[in-house]
Amino acid sequence: MSGKKIRVLMSKPGIDGHWRGGIVVSRAIRDAGMELIFGGFQNVEQIVESAIQEDVDVIGLSIHSGAHFAYTQQVIDLLKERGVLDNFMILVGGIVPAQDFSKLKEMGVANIYGPGSMTSDIVEFIKTNVKK
Amino acid sequence: MKVSYDLDTLINKFKKKDKVALAKLITTIENEPEKANEIFKHFEGISHDSYIIGITGSPGVGKSTLTGAICKRLLEEGKSVGIICVDPTSPFSGGAFLGDRVRMTDISLHPNVFLRSLASRGYKGGISRAVFDISLLYEAFGMDVIIIETVGVGQAEFDIYNLAYSVVVVLVPGYGDAIQMQKAGIIEIGDMYNINKKDLGGEDIAVQIEMMLDDTVFHSGWRPPVSMTDAISGEGVEELIQNLWDHKEHLELSEAINEKKKNRFSYKIKELIYSKIEKLISESLINENEIKEIVNHALKDGKFKIYRTIHNKFEEVNFEIKKKE
Repeated sequence: MSGKKIRVLMSKPGIDGHWRGGIVVSRAIRDAGMELIFGGFQNVEQIVESAIQEDVDVIGLSIHSGAHFAYTQQVIDLLKERGVLDNFMILVGGIVPAQDFSKLKEMGVANIYGPGSMTSDIVEFIKTNVKK
Repeated sequence: MKVSYDLDTLINKFKKKDKVALAKLITTIENEPEKANEIFKHFEGISHDSYIIGITGSPGVGKSTLTGAICKRLLEEGKSVGIICVDPTSPFSGGAFLGDRVRMTDISLHPNVFLRSLASRGYKGGISRAVFDISLLYEAFGMDVIIIETVGVGQAEFDIYNLAYSVVVVLVPGYGDAIQMQKAGIIEIGDMYNINKKDLGGEDIAVQIEMMLDDTVFHSGWRPPVSMTDAISGEGVEELIQNLWDHKEHLELSEAINEKKKNRFSYKIKELIYSKIEKLISESLINENEIKEIVNHALKDGKFKIYRTIHNKFEEVNFEIKKKE
């Protein structure tokens, strides 16, 4: 079973105890044959360091605190500072209002998954858009 | 959108201790093990040796938390540490949920640590095929200590014994009685035993292990010590680390370390040869479809004919291996 596998990091930036969404999506990613690294609660530096060391293809940010602009921007800035922004695809999920989607995309997020999203869509999007 | 790096650039960055390059080389070697030769020929001048520690035990005994706690102490001593954590790949989906890093968040930003989570990718024995290669990469990177954390193992996955110089078998309170301690396999391979979650008790397990050890003859002159930890609070970890250094000293003074090193390489050489032969067999001798055919045959004629069917199948086989003179 060697060969390439898509690797995804699932992280929850900041202090935000809502695990369930991240766990459900992580499980769907596992069941779709990908390797999911569960980062859990991490600060921005830990997220970037984990993404680098685990050499993931996708950074998934699960945010339910309303601070999605702030955290996402900080992650992007630090990735840029480390010179590795282009190595990763960034996805954001959680309680994100639909009117915020376009701004997040302008910031560089590949896609956003708010309440009611289908895990099958997330899996499909990753498989289609991660170039191996 | 994904950036691709060429190998020479990666090697040059790696030699300047660039962690991005180390991460990318690990990915390369994990996905394309046939590139190992091309990669390692650039490191032939490096003579650095890392000390390799193996952490093994059943799922949920606290291996990752303990690995983090050991690593934290080693970092405080000024050592650099490379960690490899293996979790199982699903036999159904081929996917994996790697949940070791989440236990070590507090050490993850230290400049002298590198942590990689691996999925077993169908490899048996409690590790993954890439573990040996990654340990070599860590040695070339200059890590003082390498910690390999196995999959949560059952009773019979002990490949770690061949790859690590000191193996810690981690148990928890309620592990089992004197009969469990007599079984062959995982309980035999510890260079030391550690009972984690000592806040829940476990003194009886320590006694059972000591009694098991009382009945053992130690030809090496090393009797495995037994320690108890509460990995979350860090209680007892000092003693466990002392046991590790005592074992290291024992190996070095008795020169048994050379045997351990030889063992590590002969394990990999055998693995490489077997996997090449396995590939040869599945490509040219028998594949999944042929197995299905045999099964259909056997079930049609009756299950008791399975051995005859296989016997007949191999009558047709002409498999020649040319031995070099």
